[in-house]
Amino acid sequence: MISAPLSRRGFLAGLGGVGAASLLGACATGSDDSSGSAASTTLTLQSSLSDPDPKAALTKVVEGYTKNKTTLNTIAIETFRAQLPTYLNSGNPPDVLTWYAGSVARDYASKGFLLDVSDLWTGSGPCANFSPALKELSTAEGKQIFIPTNYYWWGVFYRKSAFQEWGVQVPTTWDEFIAVCKTIKSKGVAPLSMGTGSTPWVASGWFDYLNLRVNGAEFHRELLAGKHSFDSAEVKTVMDHYRQLVEYIDPKGRSYSWQDAVTPLASKKAGMYLIGAFISSAVPQDQVDDLDFFRVPIIDPSVPLAEEAPTDGYFASAKSRNAAGAKDLLAYLASAPAQQQFIELAKSSNLPTSPTVDTSKFSPLVQKGIELLNDSKAITQFFNRDSSDELQTTADTALTKFLDRPGDVNKILTEWQASAKKVLGS
Amino acid sequence: MTTVALEKPRRKRKVPPVVWAFLAVPALVELGMVFWPALNSFYLSFTEWNGLGAAQPVGLENFRNLASDETFRGAFQNNVIWAVGFGGLSVLGGLALALALNRPRRGVGLYRSAIYLPMVFSLAVTGLFWRVQYQPDGTINTFLGAIGLESLEKQWLADPDTALYAVLVAAVWRQVGYVMVLYLAGLKSTDPLLDDASAVDGASAWQRFRFVTWPQLRGVNTVVFAVTVIDSLRTFDIVWAMTQGGPYHSSELLSTYMFQQGFTFLNLGYASAIAVVIFALALIFIITYLVRATKEEAA
Repeated sequence: MISAPLSRRGFLAGLGGVGAASLLGACATGSDDSSGSAASTTLTLQSSLSDPDPKAALTKVVEGYTKNKTTLNTIAIETFRAQLPTYLNSGNPPDVLTWYAGSVARDYASKGFLLDVSDLWTGSGPCANFSPALKELSTAEGKQIFIPTNYYWWGVFYRKSAFQEWGVQVPTTWDEFIAVCKTIKSKGVAPLSMGTGSTPWVASGWFDYLNLRVNGAEFHRELLAGKHSFDSAEVKTVMDHYRQLVEYIDPKGRSYSWQDAVTPLASKKAGMYLIGAFISSAVPQDQVDDLDFFRVPIIDPSVPLAEEAPTDGYFASAKSRNAAGAKDLLAYLASAPAQQQFIELAKSSNLPTSPTVDTSKFSPLVQKGIELLNDSKAITQFFNRDSSDELQTTADTALTKFLDRPGDVNKILTEWQASAKKVLGS
Repeated sequence: MTTVALEKPRRKRKVPPVVWAFLAVPALVELGMVFWPALNSFYLSFTEWNGLGAAQPVGLENFRNLASDETFRGAFQNNVIWAVGFGGLSVLGGLALALALNRPRRGVGLYRSAIYLPMVFSLAVTGLFWRVQYQPDGTINTFLGAIGLESLEKQWLADPDTALYAVLVAAVWRQVGYVMVLYLAGLKSTDPLLDDASAVDGASAWQRFRFVTWPQLRGVNTVVFAVTVIDSLRTFDIVWAMTQGGPYHSSELLSTYMFQQGFTFLNLGYASAIAVVIFALALIFIITYLVRATKEEAA
């Protein structure tokens, strides 16, 4: 071909051009974008739902939206997490993005990156009939900046047939719970499964719950916001309770991920597992009906009942070229039919945020989850969502160390406070 | 070899401008795509930047914080252990295997390829494979139990005392075949007559290796040293796949800590400071080595 040598040269020249251009024009810290002249009518939905089922579900849901042309971009969750600040800060950001309610969203709102969607929460807006707790969760500085579309609950999961075999009843108080642990252990079975190997954040589940049961949701939120110290007397009481559990936790869990730790539960080599409702996607299909859960036992009856219910949903970018379109898309995603369609297709145990979704067809387990949350006075998210991913790693270090050496608890809490202070101070 | 090329007479000739123009193209590519990002990383190490807005210059603060950061110090120590352990074990193992499998005999090719085989797996795959072996009920613990050594059974990757070494073994397992192949090639170029002659003179096997074979392997040693140092400093994927630096930072290396700071926490300035430290370390190794190598060459 005649053009072959030419194209090679052209290629090299192009490379040189790229090199020169990045040499001249690139500024690592610059973020202005002047090339964004894309048609402002097309909406972009940036999604972190990269697992096959949720991804397929959202694709289907977005296909049902016809008012504006919408492009769905699915990004692997770890990349999404890392790139999120860059997305929001770019000159031509995605219009709507998936993410989490709570501190995380408020943090972005405080930087002015999120679109005010308060009008969707009033009058005949799609979120007007959502619960006040959800509204509070989606509010930053008096404005609503988040559209929650589904959430899930946490509980102590177990196999009904296993409890029958061992002759134990579902405990409701702390003493009963410890007694159940003791009985299960006497059968040669590890009472509690917990995969803290490659997913050390699972250890925060017990920490969150014990803090909620001992000190209450108010204190818990303030602690994660840096208003109390991790080596305070209150936290030490929490760790005293945690310490009572250590001998009952399957030591092999230290090598497992949360998914791996489901296997002992499924094969009745472990008795119980404090985890989110997403566990139902990790147990073998034929055991889903045998799976049940109970509320983390009450420790102090005078503390208002609180539960963890991590909430997922969407926010829109403040710099969206088509704010009206973005809000319209959010309204569609928040609508009851869209929520229902998504939850069914995603095969999750997630709960809809819209009270008008017909939940009667959902499984008995999910019904029970809805009840659990309806009975609670306060809702928290989870350690990382109530604080930040960086504070989460300080918890991971402290709690996994504690599980290895419960005797060093005071030293560990002092170290935890020091590293938390560093994170919160920056 | 290389000395021949150096001794060729150098004729001074004017380089035509068009050649300069052609040379400028790759130079620009190199500048724009390698040096400029690298320089930016240096600049970022003196700033605080979370990916949002403009970077705030903070002078030497990142480096001061590094000095008082216990995780960083731990990672630094682990990197030293890693460089020595990874380098030492893979060189010793590779050399021993090469010597054992050097002489042609039946089935030797099979052994060689079997030992080289792990090299074809990516480090991430190697990590996953070894993670399965190290599971509490995995092959290693089962084996120890079967031969009556239950007391040695451990949660290899979950125990802060063993995690780093458990990963090290997996990395060496993969590297040793590569070093073996390099040494096998080196041994092929040694002169068998010298070996035979010294054997006739009554030299022991060790003496023949130490005083006859080893000096002839100098060229290969150069390659092996460079490859090993570079591989050990850039180790990231196998640690990430096996422990992600845990439990509680006990198997953290500089590279994994940098990744976590930069891409999980978005402390890009701080992460760049760690990158600068890694760069400086690599530079120290390479320069000391190059100085030594050129001295030897001159001698």
